[in-house]
Amino acid sequence: MSELMHGPLFAITLTLLAYQGAMFLYTRSARAAMLHPTISGATLIALALMLLQQDYYTYYQNINWLTFLLGPATVALAVPLYRQLHLLRNMAGPLLITVTVGAIFASASALIIAWLFGANHDTLLSLTTKSITTPIAITVTQDLGGITTIAVASVILTGVVGITTISWLFNKLDIQDDRLWGFCLGLAAHAIGTSRAFERSAVAGAFSSLALCLTGAFTAIFVPFAARWFL
Amino acid sequence: MLAGFLTLIGCQLLGEFIQRALDLPLPGPVIGMLLLFVGLCIHGNVPKDLETGSQRLIELLPLLLMAPAAGVFFLGAGFANQWPAFIAAVTLGTLSTLVFCGLLIRFLHNRNKRT
Repeated sequence: MSELMHGPLFAITLTLLAYQGAMFLYTRSARAAMLHPTISGATLIALALMLLQQDYYTYYQNINWLTFLLGPATVALAVPLYRQLHLLRNMAGPLLITVTVGAIFASASALIIAWLFGANHDTLLSLTTKSITTPIAITVTQDLGGITTIAVASVILTGVVGITTISWLFNKLDIQDDRLWGFCLGLAAHAIGTSRAFERSAVAGAFSSLALCLTGAFTAIFVPFAARWFL
Repeated sequence: MLAGFLTLIGCQLLGEFIQRALDLPLPGPVIGMLLLFVGLCIHGNVPKDLETGSQRLIELLPLLLMAPAAGVFFLGAGFANQWPAFIAAVTLGTLSTLVFCGLLIRFLHNRNKRT
C-alpha cells in the first residue's frame, strides 16, 4: 500500500485531479484572477499532500517527467510569436523600445526593492524573471541557480497584481488605446495578463501576446548575461 | 500532432547542443524557441502538425506549472524572513513597471504619429 502512495501513479492521479478541480473552480468563478488554475491547482495539491502526510520532494520527483514538458512548451511559444509578427509593422519602433527598456525596468525594479528590504542572494536570483512567462522563467532560473518555486511564485503574484490594478492605473494615466493597454499588460504580467487582455478586446489580446513573447525572449537573453556580471 | 511534437523536441535538443558547444548562458529551450522562430520565418507558414502540437502544449501550461508552484507551500522556515522583501518587490515592482511602460509607450506612440 505505502509504496503505491509514494509512486508516480499516485502523483499523476493527484495532479490530474487537482487540474480538473482547478479548471472547474476557474470556469465557475467566471475566470476570477485569484482562482487562475495554476494558483488553485497548486493549492489543491499542497492541501492533499499535507492531509495525506506526503513529502513534497518525493511527489516532485515522481512528477518530474511532466515538468520536463516545459522544455518543448517553451519552444512552442515561437509559433504564436511568429503569428503576431505582422502587428509589429506599423508600430515597430515604439514597441521594440518599450519592450527593451520595460523588461530591464521590470527586473531591476523588483531587484532594487527586494535588496532594500534585505532579501538574500537566492531570493534576488529568483526575482529577476518575475515579468516573463513561467516556462521561460523556470528554465532561466534553473540555469542561474535560483529557487524554482520562488521564481514561479513571483511570476504568478506579478500576474495577479498586474490584472487587478491595470484598469485603475491606466484610467488615472488616461491610456485607453487597446493596443497600448494590451502591450503594457503583456509586458508586465505575461500570460495571466494576456488572458485578461483578451477579455477586453481581440486587439488588446494580440498586442498582449506579442509583448509576452518579446519580453520573454528578450529577458531570457538579457538576464543570464547580466547575472554573470552583477550577481 | 506527434510530428509537430517531434519538431519541438528536435529544436530543443538542437538548442541544448548549441548551448553546450558554445557554452552560452542561455537555456537550451530558449535557443530552441529562437531556432524554431527563424525556421518559421524562412519557411513562411506554420505546418498543420506543428500548429496543433504547439497549441495543445500551450493549453496544458497550467497543468505543467501546478507541481512546481505547489512548492511555495513547502519552502520551510529558511524562507520565512524573505516574505516581506518578496511581497514588496513583486507588488511595488509590478505597479511601477505598469506606470513606467504606460507613460513610455504613450510618449513614443504620440511622437511616432506626428512624424
